[in-house]
Formats: sequence, structure tokens, C-alpha cells
Amino acid sequence: MSGYRVGIDVGGTFTDLIAVTPSSEVVLDKTPTTLDDQSRGVLTGLAQLADRFGFADLGSFCRELDVVVHGTTTADNTMIEMNGAAVGLLVTEGHRDEIEMRRVHKEKIWDPSYPAPPPIARRRARIPIPQRHGYDGEELLALDEAAVRAGVQRLKALGCDSIAVMYLFSFVDPSHELRTREIILEEYPEVAHISLSHEVMARGPEFERVSTTLVNAYVAPKIARYVGNLEAELRAAGFAGPLLVMQSTGGVMPPDYVSRRAVSVLASGPTGGVMGATVAARAAGVGDFVAVDMGGTSYDLCLVRHGAPEIKTDWNWRYRYYIGMPMVDVQSVGAGGGSIARVRQGALLVGPESAGSTPGPVCYGRGSTEPTVTDADVVLGYLPATGFASGRMTLDVDAARTAIETAVGAPLGLDATHAAWGIERIVNANMANATRKVLAGYGADPRTMAMIAYGGNGAVHAWAIARELGMGRVLVPKTAPAFSALGVLVADYVVDLVRSYVVPLSQVDLPHLRSLLADVADEAGKELAHTELPDGSVHTELYVLMAYQGQNFDMSVPVPEGPGIADVDLLDLADRFHDRHEAERGFAFRHQQPLVRGVRLVAHGTTPKPDHLGEAGTVTDPAAATKGTRAVWFGDGWVDAPVLDGKALGPGASIDGPALIEEPFTVVVVPPGARCTLGPSLAYELLLDPAST
Amino acid sequence: MHVDITELARSRPRITTGATTIDPVTAEVIRDTMETVCFEMAVYVSRTATTPILNQSNERNATILDARGRLAALSVGIPQFMLTSTLPVRFALDFLGVEEFREGDVFVANDPYHGGGHLPDYNVFAPVFGPDLATGERRMVLIASIQCHHGDTGGAVPGGYNVTANDIWGEGSRWPVLKVIDQGRERRDVLYAMSVNNRIPDYIGDLRAQIGAAQLAVERLGELIERWGVPQVEESVDYMIDYAARRFREEVAAWPDGTYEADTYVDHDPLGHPDIHLHVKIDVAGERLTIDFTGTDDRQEIQAWSTFGNTRGYTVGQIAAMMDPEIPKNEGFFEEIELVVPPGCVLNPSPGKPVSAGTHHPGAEVGEVIALALQHVLPEKAVPQVYKTGIPTVIVGVDPRTGASFTDHSAEVYAGWCNAAYGMDAWGCQAAAFGNLWKATAEINESLYPHVQWGRDYRTDSGGPGQWRGLCGSHYVKEVRVDAKVYTYVVGMKYPMPGIAGGHAGEPNLLTIRYGSDDPHVVRHTADWVPMSAGQRLCYDYGGGGGWGDPLDRDPQAVLDDVLDEYVSVEGAERDYGVVLTGSLADLTLAVDEAATATLRASRRTAGPSAGER
Repeated sequence: MSGYRVGIDVGGTFTDLIAVTPSSEVVLDKTPTTLDDQSRGVLTGLAQLADRFGFADLGSFCRELDVVVHGTTTADNTMIEMNGAAVGLLVTEGHRDEIEMRRVHKEKIWDPSYPAPPPIARRRARIPIPQRHGYDGEELLALDEAAVRAGVQRLKALGCDSIAVMYLFSFVDPSHELRTREIILEEYPEVAHISLSHEVMARGPEFERVSTTLVNAYVAPKIARYVGNLEAELRAAGFAGPLLVMQSTGGVMPPDYVSRRAVSVLASGPTGGVMGATVAARAAGVGDFVAVDMGGTSYDLCLVRHGAPEIKTDWNWRYRYYIGMPMVDVQSVGAGGGSIARVRQGALLVGPESAGSTPGPVCYGRGSTEPTVTDADVVLGYLPATGFASGRMTLDVDAARTAIETAVGAPLGLDATHAAWGIERIVNANMANATRKVLAGYGADPRTMAMIAYGGNGAVHAWAIARELGMGRVLVPKTAPAFSALGVLVADYVVDLVRSYVVPLSQVDLPHLRSLLADVADEAGKELAHTELPDGSVHTELYVLMAYQGQNFDMSVPVPEGPGIADVDLLDLADRFHDRHEAERGFAFRHQQPLVRGVRLVAHGTTPKPDHLGEAGTVTDPAAATKGTRAVWFGDGWVDAPVLDGKALGPGASIDGPALIEEPFTVVVVPPGARCTLGPSLAYELLLDPAST
Repeated sequence: MHVDITELARSRPRITTGATTIDPVTAEVIRDTMETVCFEMAVYVSRTATTPILNQSNERNATILDARGRLAALSVGIPQFMLTSTLPVRFALDFLGVEEFREGDVFVANDPYHGGGHLPDYNVFAPVFGPDLATGERRMVLIASIQCHHGDTGGAVPGGYNVTANDIWGEGSRWPVLKVIDQGRERRDVLYAMSVNNRIPDYIGDLRAQIGAAQLAVERLGELIERWGVPQVEESVDYMIDYAARRFREEVAAWPDGTYEADTYVDHDPLGHPDIHLHVKIDVAGERLTIDFTGTDDRQEIQAWSTFGNTRGYTVGQIAAMMDPEIPKNEGFFEEIELVVPPGCVLNPSPGKPVSAGTHHPGAEVGEVIALALQHVLPEKAVPQVYKTGIPTVIVGVDPRTGASFTDHSAEVYAGWCNAAYGMDAWGCQAAAFGNLWKATAEINESLYPHVQWGRDYRTDSGGPGQWRGLCGSHYVKEVRVDAKVYTYVVGMKYPMPGIAGGHAGEPNLLTIRYGSDDPHVVRHTADWVPMSAGQRLCYDYGGGGGWGDPLDRDPQAVLDDVLDEYVSVEGAERDYGVVLTGSLADLTLAVDEAATATLRASRRTAGPSAGER
């Protein structure tokens, strides 16, 4: 472990790279994303790094690489464009239409014309199969093998090359699904992919499982192809270490694992960002915070407590499909620099429509006349007219002002400045309220938390969002612009396995429970065997999934006893469940007998972390880093704010607001009355009310 | 004492006087915060309520009202029920007087004849105080309210649906208004009295979740008032109400002037009184909208009554679905509707009539008859937000796994009654308005009850034909594995979901108990504890949604696709759509016979619009 480590995040516009050198130096780089084949951009980026570190060619750099960790948007793009595999479904007879019925859920209750989600498998490609297991695994109807054979031939005739199988209670008894796979391979050996529901999501209920399994079958062939190509290209270039891929749980695993559970790489980009924020926060000594990422089109946020991002195990909807996998709970609203402001029937609205990067905001000068948040930012002086995006862009302030005056000012009777300020207030309130809603779901009070801001616009708006929420402390790490790449690089291995076993606690068959626990422990061991993690770096937690009768969610109750659990431990288990239920949901029914719903294992394999994050300057006197001043509007008249060169600042520098600290890819806005300090971990710490803290 | 609910519903004067001076941006920021607080109230209930009906169903409405009881902001579970949460607050304001609303108070109400919908809907509300600008004294500025459907409300039948009750007293306990928290102190006497009037042991725990939600809102709204000041908050409420009212009037002004009438019927009440008649006359005059239910059934022997508050909720729920979905839903939205419901008719009963059946039917049909009346002027917006549930199919028995009796309310997924919209075939399970529901599945219910759910797939040809097709209903088959009994009330057999703008009706409902046995029981109107033996099945063929537009105008390729997907049969394509297909479905060789289709459609058109109608 003495070579280079590289984290790569492929975004919509840029492929971000973060490299940690053998001397623990952290280097950030970017290259345009190649949308047709993301691996080309990845190889270009690696070549850029090779060049930067003085290697003769990509090959000699690849031979010095210990590990490449990758976050890919392939699965997300497939779902956005709905251009995945031709999927067919074999499903328990009578339950062919669960995927369309969606447990009654529709996204827009006020809009009867809101259309159905684009289908992954149309009804003709959903073949009912006579077979049935009961809730306890009793075979109520044998598998009709002839129907499976005919169904597979039908799917073949329909042109389906990826087949999903979802039978009721297959997670209790998977034999019918396993036998179905054998038959599919006999009838259709050239099929590209088979997803068995109990392997994708080993629990109920059936709508969640069929949705997850269909999405898996839809994206898996592309993921397997892409990750396979990338690995082959890296190997050809001389790379011999492990290639790891980011999952939505915030952990990484090898290509073989993610190809089988392709659905687990959805949303790996935003997840990487949260993991990056978590590492930066830990370095700065912050445990409870809200990670906020404001980019061009969206505002993503995640609650992190005790250094661990909240993981959501239910109600994960992505691209109008339910994803029944644990996911880092990153919520997104349509508020970003490109969000368009307009007046409709006398009301000022900002977003969710976005100008994107083409044509982009008016000030980019690419022909757009619809004002955006970035246009308001430049009119109010937060963003510089020249030197934007590391000096690559000049912003047209006059065009932005005219557009705001025309589209917002005139209808509301406001001048350009007040109209721009109106845009700021609306978008900041939208982001603050979105944050509050997410925190409300966890019963968390924003006033007790810090904010970690990243993304191109996070540092520009953080002060205002934080103030709206009564939060006093904001951190902007220097590596913030490439947090997703940092996050994937420092992420740990995560294996999350579930086995279903539904039974009242008092009727638990202890040998069976033990064998289930041993079984998941075994499987996790196998998955992690080839990771070559040093001894002692794997941490495994076993849980029993429990609920009260009638609840349709599970709670994971730790089983420190492990597979050796004894009869007497079951009473402790019940108490632990009641206690946890009381702590998390505010009540417990101690007189009630809990229901066991399954066992779960979560294994973390710890990977090395860099010591410091980013490149530091040496100047601690703000005056020495000041490049000039700019007039800025904070809502109450124009003020002249000094403009500082962030690259020059060193740890310990303390800047009183108003001030603007320009970093290569963002601007840290320090409002009047606030103080900003660059800490030893190379994160800017903004205190909005320094007197009270 | 008699409470006139139409009087409660009447428009109330705004708090601020003169023109508002608040800037629109501040008003929008305050409104957005209020809607967030509503959302927080709803989420708080989900997090802390103890029974599934409260913490999992999403059937809850959170609202914020001004000090006169005008709706300022809301977060909705089911649109049709949103308005029945404002009138009980108004009753309390009028009955107790403002001086009885003190800081730290929390109230509870559930009575249909004092503004509520039906008895299981409990409304919890609390005043929010702030300093008056002129006097400096603290006074009531806002009221936070949260309404939830509880699993029981006392009365003769568990669950609050005693559909054969003679009067409201037979349906459960009535609480017009109770103060449960008096200036921060819990009224133990009151809560105890309520707890003994309810079968569910955790009822008070659920009520406490609602109380906590209201108290949370009081705290958050207190911060809002502290930040912006009382005048800004009150002005922004008035501004947003004025804004919604203006948007509403602009929508109405765009509709063609005229008088539009329609009739619809409910099959029968739970006692079998047939053909409950709804009549509406809608008058559009410039920007004024009058909805008049004069002519609606007023037979006093009927046992299905929708209170005025309930009728108003369904009226506004339907109108909202026909307007720009972005208009804020507040007082301005619905005080613009002139609603006439003659006292004594089934949509505005005299006090004492039972309501547990009528809340749903004729309640739901209010939306249907409005959509029918407006289909000729607003065909593209006429999508009835309706269900034909009757009441849930209740199955009781003893679970051999636990030895305890069980009550299965059949709260599972099934498709039914979803109409097509202009330009869009119907999809999913139910109309959009019910999209916040989240129903149970076979894998959930079978671990709770000794049943097997053999299926609930779409029934081929059950969706109403049209240029755009109504949704197919489910073929729902459930086996009981122990001896059991069934209690329910079924409608939509004689009067299924109607088609719109020339579309045809969906297939009707049909419930058969002991399905497939040699002694099947087809439910005529009510099943009063009909017995089933272990191993017998119940089959509910749920009705389809109505189609939109003439089915002869449907693109023949879309019909072919429907046949390939088995929403429509080969025979149905010809019978209902005039589309002739060649080849076979089994061999995937189906194709449209263009010439035969053109000929058939031409002859159908000549024969007149009723040809092909079922």
C-alpha cells in the first residue's frame, strides 16, 4: 500500500478525479465527461493525472496505482433516458399487475392528467406462472414448469433479453425461483441477464420487490458491460489492483458484486458527495451536520448524525420506481444555479425548471434570456464577472441585470437589484424548507447542527440557508468541489445482507435462527475474501429484524451474541427491541410479543483515509490575500466587500464579513457580522453570529 | 341547540383592513414556511402514532387557519377530506368565543353535525399567539389543526362503520369540542372520558400524537411570528388568500358562461332503498361559479347521508382537480364557490341522521355529478375523482396461530373506478386524488391474517371504452383458511363509473362470497356477517373506470396494443372499438385489418352514437 489511490466520479458534465499520492498529498482534477462511453473520459482523466505526476505514460502510472474507486452514473442515466434492457417478467399468477398498481401511490394528487411511469416490462411481457408459497414457506401450489417453459419462449418471441422473476414469498422459500432460473437457461441459454427477486431483495412486500427486481434487470446488462469494459481497459493499461464501485449504501464493492446487484449503484454520485462530506467533517471534528450540495440543477441534502449518514431502508423512489434497497438518504429538490425565475399570475417562482449548462444562465452569454439564480448571484455581486470557474469564464452582468429587470422586476414593480434579491430569498427559502422537511422526518432540530456546504453553488448560498434555519455554523472544505470523487475514494467496503424468517418471537426455532445468522456471516465472508483487507479492518454487525404485529416496517435490532445466540438471549432481544422502538419512535408496547421478520448483516471493511484534504496556502493575514473589493447586496444596501484569493490562505486565517473568498471552483460568501476561519483540516468555518458561539 | 353548518362555512372577513402592503416575496416565503409546518405536523403523527391506521395510511390532513378560522395553508392526505378540518374549528370559535382560546390550549372535535366529516375523523387544534402591534398584548394570530382517521370511535360496531345504524348516536361517541390541554395542563378527566368511549387501548396514545403535532406547530408558528411580526404574518395570509381567489376567478372566467346540469345515482343505501338521486345545476357567469344541488333526493327513510361539510369537501376536491394544480389551496380557493345544498336532502341532512355510509356514498358521487355536468364545457378537465367502495369488506374470525380473533378490513391493493383523462388512458389503481394512500399487499396481509390472496389482476375488458380507455378493475380473489364472516356494503353495481365526452361506462362491481362453491352468495347491497367455511373464496370483481371520448375515435394501433396487453380482448376490440383484428394473439401475429375496421366504424357512426354502447 505505497502507491497512488484514485477516486473518480463521473458526473453529467465533468468527470472529477481525486488522487492521493504516496506522500499523502491530495490532488484534484477534472475532465469533461464522455457521455457515449464514460470509460474514455475516465482513461483521459487518469492520463491527465499521470502527466501531472510526471509519469512517462498512462501505463507506468497505472502500475503504481494501488486502487481505483469509481462512482458511475450509468444506472441513473439508463433510468433517466429509460433506455435499458428489454425486460420480461415471470410472476406469480394473479399478481401480474402489482408493478402498475403501485399500492395506489400516485405522485400528483391534484393532477388527474399526470401520466403513468414509462413501463420497464409492458403487460404482454409479464407472464403469469401458476405456483405459490404461503407466508411460512408452505407450498400451496407446485411450480408449473410447463408454464415457465412456455413463458420463456413467449418472452424470447417478444424480444426480451433480460428476465426478472418474482414469486410471492420467494424470500421464505426460494426453490421455485431457483428452479425457474434453471429452466430459463435450458430454454434460452443466450439470455443476457436473469434477476431473481429473492436475490435482489430478500424480503417483502411484493410491490417493492417486483419494482426493485425489474429495475435491476433493466440496468444490469448495461452496468455489467460498462464496468466490464472499464476493468478490461484498466487491466490493458497495466493496472493490477482492485477496481471498486460505489453503491447507494455509501460503501464500495468489486465489479462482480455490483453487476449482480446493479440496482445498488443507483445514486452513487450524490452518495459519494455525502461520504466526502462525512470524511471532511470528521477531519474538522464535526459529527452532527446537514450535508448540502447546491449544483446547477438541484439541491441535494442529507442528515448526518454521529458521523454516520442516515440510511433509508424504505420509501426510496428513484425515477418513479420503488427501490427496496438501503440507500444513503439524499433528498433532492429542483433548486440550483440554473433554476429559472419567472413571475406567474403575480407570484415569483424559482425552479424547478432549469436552464442547465446549455444554454445555461443569461450571464453565460449563450443566448438564454430567462433569468436564473446564478444571474441573481452575479447581479448582487456574490459571483465575480471575471475569473469565474477557475478563470475559464467571463459572466455578462449587464445581460443578467436586463433579463431580471424584464422577467421579474417589471411584472412585480421592482428594480433589478430588488428583483434579484427576491429570487435569492425565494430559492433560499425553498432550500431551507426542503432541509427542514427532511430533518422533520428524523425528528432532528437544525439549530443543533452544523452545515457542510459543497457543489459549485453551496458556498455561495450556505450562509442564507443556514440563517433561515437558525443554524450558526457552516463548513466549506477546500475539496468541496470534488466531494463525490473524494467520497468514493475514502468509502469503506459495505456488504448488507438480509434473510427472511417471519415468526412470533416466542415461537422462534433457535437452530434455524442460528443457521440463518451463520449463513449471512458466511456469505459476507466470501464477498469480502478477495478484497485483501488487512486483519481487523472488517467490522461486522448482525441484526434481527423485528416489528410489532401490524407494522409494515422493520427495525434492525443488534445481536451481539451472533450465530451462537441462546434461548435466554431471546428475552434480551425483546427488551432491546422495545427500548429501541421507544427511543426512535417514542413508544413501546412492552406487553406485546414482537414479531421476528428476518436477520440482517452489515459488514464494513475499512479503507485507508488521507490525513489532510486539499492544498494549503501560507497567508494568515486576510489583508495580504485581498485582491480588491466588490459591491455586494445582502438585502440592506450595497456594501463593499473585500475579495480574497482562497488559494493563498493558510490554516489559521480569520476573515470578518462582509467578504468574498474566491476558490478555483466556487466563492465562499461571508455576510456582514459573520466570521470565517480556515481550519487545520483545510475547511472554512463560517460562524454567522461569532459573538454568541 | 342546532348548529347551522352552512352558516359555519360562510365566508368570513379578513383580519387585516385596507390594501395589503406586504411584498409578494415575503408573503411567498411565509406561505412556504406554513406549508412546511403542515408537513411537519403530518410527519410527526406518522412518527409517533401507535396504530397502523395513523402511522402508515397517510390519511391525515394538517392545516393552518387564521384567528377567524380561514384556511391559510395545508398538507393533504386525501383532498376530499381537507375541508372538513376547518369547520369544527369555526364551531369552537363561535361556541366558546375567542376568550376561551388561551395560550397552551389544545382542543379535540369529531362531530359531523358540528362541522366534521364522520365520527372516526378526529380533529385536534391549538391556538398560536403573538404580540399585537397596537396594544403589545399577546393575542391569538393563527390556529394549527391536524385531522386523522382513527380505528374506532365507540358505537355499536367496531371501526366506526355501523352502516345500519338508525341515527348518529348509534354510530359512536360525539365530541363537538373538548378542551384536552388547558393552558399547558392535561385535562385528565376529559382524556379518561374519551378513552372509555373507545375500544382501542392505544386510542389516547394516537390522540397524543396528534396533540404533540399541534403543539409542535404552535412552537414553529410562534417562531415564524417572532421573526416576521404579527402584521406581516397576517398580511401574508390575506395576500395568499386573495391570490388564490383571484387565480380561481380567472380560471372560472375562462369557462364558457352557461348553466350545466347533470344527474347521477347511488345504487341503494345499506338497507336497500334504491336509486339515491343526485342532481346538480352549475352556473358559470363571468368569474362567478354557483353549484346548486336542489333537486337531490330527500327521502327521509334513506340511511346514507353526507353532511354539508362533507358535501363541500367533495365539491372542492372535484373542482380543484379541474383547475391549475399549482393554485395554492386555501380559503380563497373555495370561498369563491357559491354552494347551494337544500337542508334535508341527502347532501345536507338535518341533525341526527346517520352518516357513516353517506360520507362515502353519496359523498363520492358529488364529484361524479359535477364532472358529468361540466363535461360539455370542460371536457378536457372532466375526470371524476371518485371511488365506488361502499365500505371496506370486513372479515372476522379466529386466527389459529394466536388463538385471538382478527378483523381484516381488506385494506389491500386493488384497482377500480379510475376514469381516463383527455389524452391519457387511465393507469394505476385509483383516481389521482387518492394517490397519497399506501395500501397493504398479499405478503403483508397473509402474515397478519389466515388468508391467501390468489389474485387481483386487471380484468380484461372491464375498463370503459373510449378514445382514451378507462382503467380495468381488479379480479380480486381471497381464500379464507379458517371459518369466517363477512360484513360489507356494496354499490356501483347498477351505476358504474360513467364515461365522459362520449366515452363508455366501466364494468360494474360484483362481490361474490363463497365464490366457486355450490352455495355462492352474491351481495345485493349489504353483507351482514355472511359466513364462509375454511377453504372457501371470496371474489370481488371491482368496477372499471369510465372512458373518455368516442371509442370509435381511438387509434386502432392503441387498440391493438391493448389487445396484446390483454386490457382488451380481440372480441372487445371489435365490439367496443369497431377495430377488426387479423391473426392470433397466441402467435403474436395480430394486426389491424384497416379496411374492415374503416367499414365497421363507418357503419357504427351512421347507426348513431348509442351503437356499441353497453
